[in-house]
Amino acid sequence: MNSTPHRATIYLEDARILGHESHPGEQRILKLEAPKCAQAARPGSFAHLQCDPLLPMRRPLSIMRVDPEAGWVEFLYKIIGYGTRLLARRRPGENLSLLGPIGRPFAVHADRPRAVLIGGGVGIPPMIFLANHLRRLPGFKPLAILGSEVPFPFIPRPSRILVPGMPDGIIAAMPLLEDWLIPSRLASLQGFPGCHDGYVTDLVVRWLDTLSPRELAEVELFACGPHPMLEAVARLARKYDLPAQVSLEEFMACGVGGCAGCTVAIETADGQAMKRVCVDGPVFDAATVAAFKPA
Amino acid sequence: MNLSVVDKRLAVDFCGLELASPLVLLSGCVGFGEEYTRIEAFSNREVGAICLKGTTLAPRLGNPPHRVYETPCGMLNAIGLQNPGAHQVVNEILPQLDFSETRFIANVSGSTVEEYVEVARLFDDSPIDAIEINISCPNVKEGGVAFGNDPDMSARVVEACRAATNKPLITKLSPNQTDIAENARRCIEAGTDGFAVINTLMGMAIDVEQREPIIGNNQGGLSGPAIKPLAVLKTHQVYQVARPHGIPIIGQGGVASAQDALEFLIAGATAVGVGTALFYDPLIVGKINAGLAAYLDRHGLDHISHLTGSLMLHGATSACG
Ligand SMILES: Cc1cc2nc3c(=O)[nH]c(=O)nc-3n(C[C@H](O)[C@H](O)[C@H](O)COP(=O)(O)O)c2cc1C
Ligand code: FES
Repeated sequence: MNSTPHRATIYLEDARILGHESHPGEQRILKLEAPKCAQAARPGSFAHLQCDPLLPMRRPLSIMRVDPEAGWVEFLYKIIGYGTRLLARRRPGENLSLLGPIGRPFAVHADRPRAVLIGGGVGIPPMIFLANHLRRLPGFKPLAILGSEVPFPFIPRPSRILVPGMPDGIIAAMPLLEDWLIPSRLASLQGFPGCHDGYVTDLVVRWLDTLSPRELAEVELFACGPHPMLEAVARLARKYDLPAQVSLEEFMACGVGGCAGCTVAIETADGQAMKRVCVDGPVFDAATVAAFKPA
Repeated sequence: MNLSVVDKRLAVDFCGLELASPLVLLSGCVGFGEEYTRIEAFSNREVGAICLKGTTLAPRLGNPPHRVYETPCGMLNAIGLQNPGAHQVVNEILPQLDFSETRFIANVSGSTVEEYVEVARLFDDSPIDAIEINISCPNVKEGGVAFGNDPDMSARVVEACRAATNKPLITKLSPNQTDIAENARRCIEAGTDGFAVINTLMGMAIDVEQREPIIGNNQGGLSGPAIKPLAVLKTHQVYQVARPHGIPIIGQGGVASAQDALEFLIAGATAVGVGTALFYDPLIVGKINAGLAAYLDRHGLDHISHLTGSLMLHGATSACG
């Protein structure tokens, strides 16, 4: 993977709230009018938002969908702290300041068209963005495996697309992806109907095990979600000798590479380095993330 | 030099350097001077100077995460002076900077007096405009107490760096000590040309579920509006000592508006630093410049420098509470 930091222009936009939907499990879908960000965003990009004038800091949120023509960007977030709680109070018609798009996006490779998009919880958004990108690229055959421990922020429906290796009855899929003709399957420990009662990586393994060696060589993993999930993806990538790109999270201050507040330890050719999640990431090669190294 | 983007009345002289605006971007908040230029409409030309990230002799990886955390009206940081080392900064980074846009000030850090001196010497032999000594680093030879918390140790660092450079030398004072005025006095004797007042205050935030500090380094420096009243007072106190010697101050700590910048100027600052506020509004400098110019208009003043130390104290200043 290319390791030069993100140097593209970042825009500061006074973004109007076009929509702010509530979903169970304290989840919200926020749609903002931000034409410059919508034009420039790529799968994996995030934006740094002023949640409320009362807060001294912004909050980074991954971009889920964009419409460059209509000029909007959409985010999915969960209320987990003071900042997101204040953000959740903001109403359509109000404005908030958006700084974005930020970050080095996912890199897709034509020789690995079998892209597996693994998203957990609020790690789902970048996978939706990536899926929307891949469906327009000829030859790509993406598969999405999504997990959540709160109800999914959409109403799952039985899939009409066959996915080899899935356990009996694991048929729930994300409607938007179905509409895009992208197969998806869902996992949760909460016993949601049609969803695998276990981890996303269980389903990925079942699917990988149906592939021939030639097919396996066409697979690339993409993941965003909680740390244990990403660690499991990194393990799986090692076991099957697959490339894996993971999108990481860390507390951020500036969001533009100025403070080195958001670093993670990354193995480089020159030894371990502290890389900034905001502009050196948020997407990293899983094999280089020091925290995912085998013990 | 094209300094035309800023109102002429805002240009100030700081230790012999002409600054287009009294506003200075603070060390640790803007990397090595170019990170913010990727933001549309951001321009280094709007600021008087930029202080580069704290630089040590050898490269430092910095602290484990988390390094930053929001607290009420501010934030904690413990970056751990992540930097590529003074040689790399001087040889690789400084040549990339556009010195026609603004002034660049090195921020010199170290674990020993010798390290400070070596770093200062390397910057002395470079195009850097001035050298700021960050004396808030722990002195590893004397139990890890920060140099800046003790007037003797502070003076020793300043004196040694003074001998190593003829560039303008700015001492960045720590608020984590009993008598900042005494410390300032000693640093003046040791040969400082200017002061930066104040660096961050040490603080801690605790994750009560895990019963552990949120910051990887356990403690971190508190910055932002939370520290502003304290920073204004410290600026006022240091000004009393520095004024007779004509030594200027970069007042800083929580500046987020023209009103805040004015408070520091009136308290005795010649220039005003902006750090944490950039994280909230990366284009804040243009707004503060405009606010300062509007204040000059409103008060019929022809130059910002008339404000420095223009504070009129009330009679009684003893009791508190
Ligand atoms: C993330 C961060 C990193 C900092 N790094 C340094 C540093 O390397 N050297 C230094 O002298 N001060 C450093 N500081 C202190 C600032 O330069 C400034 O003095 C302080 O934050 C107060 O100003 P503010 O409230 O406007 O941020 C840092 C501050 C922050 C927030
Ligand atoms: S948040 Fe400041 S460098 Fe990433």
